[in-house]
Amino acid sequence: MKVTDIVEKLNLKIFSGHDGLGREVTGGYASDLLSDVMGHATAGSAWITIQTHRNVVAIASLRDLSAVIITCGEKPGDDTVSQSNEESIPVLGTDLPTFEIAGRLYSLIS
Amino acid sequence: MRPIRADLHIHSLLSPCGSLEMTPREIISLAAAKGLEMIAVSDHNSTLHCELTVTLGKRAGITVLRAAEVTSAEDVHSLVLLPDEKARISFQEWIDMHNAHIPYNPDIFGDQVVIDEKENIILRIDHFLTAALNATLDEVEAAAHIRGGLFIPAHIDRPSMSIISQLGFIPDDLYIDAVEVVGRTPELLHPVIRNSDAHIPEHIGRRFTTYMIDHPSFEELAMALRGEEGRYIMTDLP
Repeated sequence: MKVTDIVEKLNLKIFSGHDGLGREVTGGYASDLLSDVMGHATAGSAWITIQTHRNVVAIASLRDLSAVIITCGEKPGDDTVSQSNEESIPVLGTDLPTFEIAGRLYSLIS
Repeated sequence: MRPIRADLHIHSLLSPCGSLEMTPREIISLAAAKGLEMIAVSDHNSTLHCELTVTLGKRAGITVLRAAEVTSAEDVHSLVLLPDEKARISFQEWIDMHNAHIPYNPDIFGDQVVIDEKENIILRIDHFLTAALNATLDEVEAAAHIRGGLFIPAHIDRPSMSIISQLGFIPDDLYIDAVEVVGRTPELLHPVIRNSDAHIPEHIGRRFTTYMIDHPSFEELAMALRGEEGRYIMTDLP
């Protein structure tokens, strides 16, 4: 399943990183501790978090994650958006809290 | 110029996790006993015990800097040290503007009280002081620096509530005056300092930093962090 498919099926907002919408989503990871994601998220995962700091994109890139899904209606800052565009890693958004979107993503890809 | 010991991260009883014994009077008395010439009162998201501690410190010959340990939206703790009372008032207003008003239960977290010189309670804070402000780390940094303050990410080597735990690494475009560590000194480009992060009297001065400066003051400390005019952080850290 591609990022563009989960955007459609989970009704996600696309903030940035449109060039990466063709990335393959092979799993998911939910965490708000970037140090944890840096150590444990597996490549291809869509990362679900409430954090919006620009380091989110740097770590998504480091772990070769497919996309970032920001929850609870939070919005990324300008620097996060521009880094997402540079790295072609989509930053997506939902008004749902992490638990709910994680459940829906799990049902979709498992 | 001489070596001056400073512990710039001490919580008073105003912090929910601060022991009720941590009155400004007790803090000053223990700082004196530990040979600290300069301290900072740095409660969670509040500067309301700074003035009383400054006053009591003056009488005891201890320089007290005004500070707060700010929780930003990312759940990162940073020390903000302020140059004077005008800056403190302005920074307190900024904190109040960004307060998330998380309701508070003192039975669970402990009391959050401001006291006067006679140790009467003059104010109870009814929102959870340790909760994240509605302000990003970048905004905290800017709020500190536009008031002439110092911005020091706290206990960066702790596994929680630190810039490293929350953000994975230190963003290279963040203007940092120093970093505070609790364990071994990391190899970093930033100046490294150590403080007690005391919440109980016995912890005051358990970690401190010695600065080679002319006299204890905010300006001298700032110069030491920048390594200016012969001031420096003495490298006696483990």
